[in-house]
Amino acid sequence: MKKQAAVCLALAAAGTLAMAFPAFAEEGAALTIDQIKLGEDYTDLSADLKFLTHKTDVIDTEFQRYIEEFHKSYPNINIEYEGITDYANDVTTRLSTGDWGDICMVPTTVDLDELENYFVSFGDYDKLSEQYLMLSNRMYDGQVYGMPSMGNVQGIVYNKAVFEAAGVTEVPKTPDEFLDALQKIKDNTDAIPLYTNFAADWTMTAWDAYIDSCATGQADFALEGRTKGQNPFSDRGDGTGPYAVYDILYEAVSRGLTEDDPTTTDWEGSKGMLNNGQIGCMALGSWALVQMQQAGEHADDIAYMPFPITVDGKQYAAAAPDYCYGINCNSSEDQKTAAMVYIKWLVEESGFETDEGGFSAVISKPFPESLSDFGDVELLYDVPAPAGEETLASDVNNESELGINVSGAIAKEIVESAFDGSKTMEDMVAEWNEKWTAAQEKYGITFE
Amino acid sequence: MAREKSSFIRWIQSGKVNKRLCMITFMLFPLTLLVVFTYIPFLKMFQFSFYEMKYIGDREFVGWENYLEVFTREDCFQALKLSLYYIVASFIQLALALWFASILSFKTRGGGIFKGFMFFPYLVCGIAVGFIFKFFYTRGFVLDTILQWIGFNLDNLPYWLRDRSVNNISLAASSIWRYMGQNMVLFIGAIMSVDSTLYEAAAIDGANGWAKFRYIIFPSIKTIIVLNMILAISGSLSVFEPPYVITGGSFGTGTYFVVMNELAHESQKVGLASAMAIVLLGLIFIATMIQKFVEAYFLGTNGKEAIRYVRKQKKIEAQHAAQAAKGGR
Repeated sequence: MKKQAAVCLALAAAGTLAMAFPAFAEEGAALTIDQIKLGEDYTDLSADLKFLTHKTDVIDTEFQRYIEEFHKSYPNINIEYEGITDYANDVTTRLSTGDWGDICMVPTTVDLDELENYFVSFGDYDKLSEQYLMLSNRMYDGQVYGMPSMGNVQGIVYNKAVFEAAGVTEVPKTPDEFLDALQKIKDNTDAIPLYTNFAADWTMTAWDAYIDSCATGQADFALEGRTKGQNPFSDRGDGTGPYAVYDILYEAVSRGLTEDDPTTTDWEGSKGMLNNGQIGCMALGSWALVQMQQAGEHADDIAYMPFPITVDGKQYAAAAPDYCYGINCNSSEDQKTAAMVYIKWLVEESGFETDEGGFSAVISKPFPESLSDFGDVELLYDVPAPAGEETLASDVNNESELGINVSGAIAKEIVESAFDGSKTMEDMVAEWNEKWTAAQEKYGITFE
Repeated sequence: MAREKSSFIRWIQSGKVNKRLCMITFMLFPLTLLVVFTYIPFLKMFQFSFYEMKYIGDREFVGWENYLEVFTREDCFQALKLSLYYIVASFIQLALALWFASILSFKTRGGGIFKGFMFFPYLVCGIAVGFIFKFFYTRGFVLDTILQWIGFNLDNLPYWLRDRSVNNISLAASSIWRYMGQNMVLFIGAIMSVDSTLYEAAAIDGANGWAKFRYIIFPSIKTIIVLNMILAISGSLSVFEPPYVITGGSFGTGTYFVVMNELAHESQKVGLASAMAIVLLGLIFIATMIQKFVEAYFLGTNGKEAIRYVRKQKKIEAQHAAQAAKGGR
């Protein structure tokens, strides 16, 4: 580890020296992403880039189209994609070798204070945030190490036709309304009201994404309320907060509003089932919308609604970046420059976010139409953690083993317990709070 | 010079050097592979087990703390209890394998085909087996359909992977299906090596099938049986693929390895997971030693008589001697 850091530093030093030469003379500092003028700068730069991606499904289609398009302005920058199926785990191991390629999607397993040992800074947070959204996600010490490939909103993907056939005319806004709607779907149609996709495992982390700003209306809840707060999982009694989110899942399962056998759910199959009306809705980020629309003939029926929690008469939605692009700090100077050009192009001109159903990280770009149900909903972006507390949230989370936003362990436990009635919500909440408090104590958060 | 050279060539061509050269070159590859892919990673893991660390980031030396935590956590040893299901399954598996082996070792119609069919599952990769059984156990799919043909009502059938009362049995059954054939082939090999004149002699003496098995086959292959048992039990302690692929460890099917995997990959507690692995290694050691001892006590190893038998004989001899002494007086 230390060796790598040393190599990185040496390279960075060499880089700074190299930058004293013509192209960068006027800046006098490392290249930042906002300085690049697409289509004008570096058009004769030649470099070979290797790009590690989790999007194994579109490497031969969408991504080849991007490369072709990109080559019109930058004919000498070659990009080779490598798709990795078990992305987060494999990349974590490969990152530690230093020799993995030039661009990757930064895995969340890299702690923020480690970012500088692996990735190149895209520039100063204050400067870049004038142009781009959601940069704080992969930021440390004021430097941005990951450019969001796109943004996702957290809500529920549903089949409008099924909801209408069941007699639900208005989009539910509170947990009770939502559960009533599911009950109507069960009573009046043949569709499975809520499909958990339990067996796919990673799909269960979607539930964790609602518990912070979305369920409380506080943009900094993840750190201030959950990480630093006392017993954050307790019932607040007003249908908000983490408890309300998890309770929806618990109630839905125990009232039989989900599939019969969660152990044998089929992720690929679920897309078609939602599309043709065999499923009412699923809890997934907005990225899922496009995939569900393309899975069958009823693209028009598929829509996206805000998560059914209302705080003081207002609904909120968490807007968070999908995977962020990162550049290897061990790559050559030319490769780093070329990589930054390509990433800027991807973020601003490729149309990746439209193809994948998210919204752009570029502030000036409009919000996509597909999210029209979000008209009155206030979007809340992550707030950068104050200096010294960058890793606190992930430290406490890892220590507690609750795997919030990592493994979906809580949501899985809820489904299991609700099915066989082995534990009530109160039992589980007490356990979570206990684990959480113990983890908080280890990192110096105590309550007197 | 010429003489020296020729003597050098003679020396290099002499049997002594060639023999050593052969030994070294033949051993080089397997040894390199063994060291690089088994011993170095193992030593690294042993080292990791004393640190509090993630895959990426700083490490902190914590001494025996990880080991203490393994023994004080509830879930680790709770998960080890699930191994009982697989140990029971492995006994059933060995019994079945032995039964088929003793039938198929003799001229049976279509014996080759049966051997092939039964060995085949072992060749399928564990992940694929997982997916096969996931569909096999899915509500209303293969197993349920077959049971309905026999006359079961779907409403009375359990959810094979969801009900805590049956799901571990379902999973253990899938591992019987996979490994039975391999055990059987090992048994057939051992049975084949028995001198066939013994069977003829036994037949002349009027021995039936069971007697042949009990007094000829069983004593001749007991080493292989014990070996298979050791492999099956250490395998049962470290089950990973069936629960990981089929249920993901949900609904109380998370075995020790699944828990370990969760800790290492989801909570990033690499040091703790490494300590769990070392503890399991120790347990497998102990289990093997116990088995070895039991074998030596009841069955005897390497041509030695069983300890129990030897003691009995001594006791009898002692009694005889005592009686003889009494009688003498």
